[in-house]
Amino acid sequence: MKAFSIFKEILLFVILVLLQVLLFNRISIFGFAVLILYIYFLIKLPYGRNKFYVIVSGFLLGLVIDIFLNTPGMNAAATTIVATFRSVILNLFYPKNEYEDFVPSIHGPTAAFVKFVLVMVLLHQTLLFFIEAFTLFNFVSTIIRLVSSSLLTIVLILALDLLSVGREKISG
Amino acid sequence: MRNLFTFIIRNSHWLVAIVLIVISFYLVFSHNSYQRSVYLTSANNVVGWFYEMSNKATTFIHLNKNNKLLLERNAQLEAELYSLKTYLSDYRTDTLKTNAFLSDSVPVSQFSFIQAEVTNISFSGPNNFITVNKGSMHGVKPDMGVISQNGIVGMVQSVSSRFSVIIPIINPKFRLSGKLKNSNNTGSISWDGKDLNIAQIGELPKHEVFQPGDTVMTSFSRIFPKDVVIGYVTEQILSKDDNFNTLNVRIATDFYSVRDILIIDDKYYSEQNQLENSIQ
Repeated sequence: MKAFSIFKEILLFVILVLLQVLLFNRISIFGFAVLILYIYFLIKLPYGRNKFYVIVSGFLLGLVIDIFLNTPGMNAAATTIVATFRSVILNLFYPKNEYEDFVPSIHGPTAAFVKFVLVMVLLHQTLLFFIEAFTLFNFVSTIIRLVSSSLLTIVLILALDLLSVGREKISG
Repeated sequence: MRNLFTFIIRNSHWLVAIVLIVISFYLVFSHNSYQRSVYLTSANNVVGWFYEMSNKATTFIHLNKNNKLLLERNAQLEAELYSLKTYLSDYRTDTLKTNAFLSDSVPVSQFSFIQAEVTNISFSGPNNFITVNKGSMHGVKPDMGVISQNGIVGMVQSVSSRFSVIIPIINPKFRLSGKLKNSNNTGSISWDGKDLNIAQIGELPKHEVFQPGDTVMTSFSRIFPKDVVIGYVTEQILSKDDNFNTLNVRIATDFYSVRDILIIDDKYYSEQNQLENSIQ
């Protein structure tokens, strides 16, 4: 069961990297908003997953995205930080005694999931945009990009989650 | 002591996190200072190959082959045109030259052009870049200029054996001097990160006369020939400095549709570079 779950996670990792690199990074909505979907990987890891596993996979995810997008370190830094605080954020919204294989989902407690996604995405994108802004650029446009990108990403993640669980129900 | 160990073991994931975060930030700051690391960019052969495959899957609708042939032809003609131009200007400036001192009747062109195809282009944030499918194997080197049929594209940043990464005008790291077509005052071209079609030319003297639609061209540049089109003036904008004008320039190259580009190989680049470095 656990091996199967890890296999599924690797698949999700690859698919998210491909989507991000080949699709979403070529779309710039209204000229400033970018969908940063790959954080969905960290959202969908099981509740009781080993912290090393979460942090290292978060780092690798960011690094792979960085290599494709020529932004060394930026995504890696943001994603590693989010991965580090994932369990803390998770415990804010979910009861501590959740069983190990529990995967956060919109079909679970919906309100908790929405809040969890909101915090994860906002934290990730805030880090990302400000690391980016370190080297360049004015404050106002960074904020506009941050807010619009976060909103769109959150909507996309919620929609995607609704879809993916529906599919699982059909196949299983 | 045992408490210390259990403390360390219980919290060791923090240590790992801190180490990884430090590594990430090291990458951020060491790279932004124009390091030409090839392995962690899309000039890396694996990633380049990957982009190329994805590109192949999408380009069949673009009549690629015909286009490429035309471009190769174009590259040839452009080189020829340039050599003829220099030839002509030599004659204009020196009509008193006697035949006895004419050493060579066919001038060697200073510039030749390497034709390449865009395999990936990213413009989602300020860190825009373009990956193309020619590398050191084909004679591409860092710092070479890049143009499209319409105008300037950017400058080569890093190169692997078969791919290279280009910094386009629409990247804040890109700087270039430019001038209006009918004037000799130079300004500097940069991009403010807002609109992918609009760059800015700053540091133009106040007395400079301009009209919307005026052509902006390269002036002195280490990497571009003279008088290559950069874009067209659209309007005057607020300048940071009262002594100079800043203008918006619509970039001649359309980054949304650019597919085939030419990399400029300047035969005298290293010579000029060496000479200029020798006095520092």
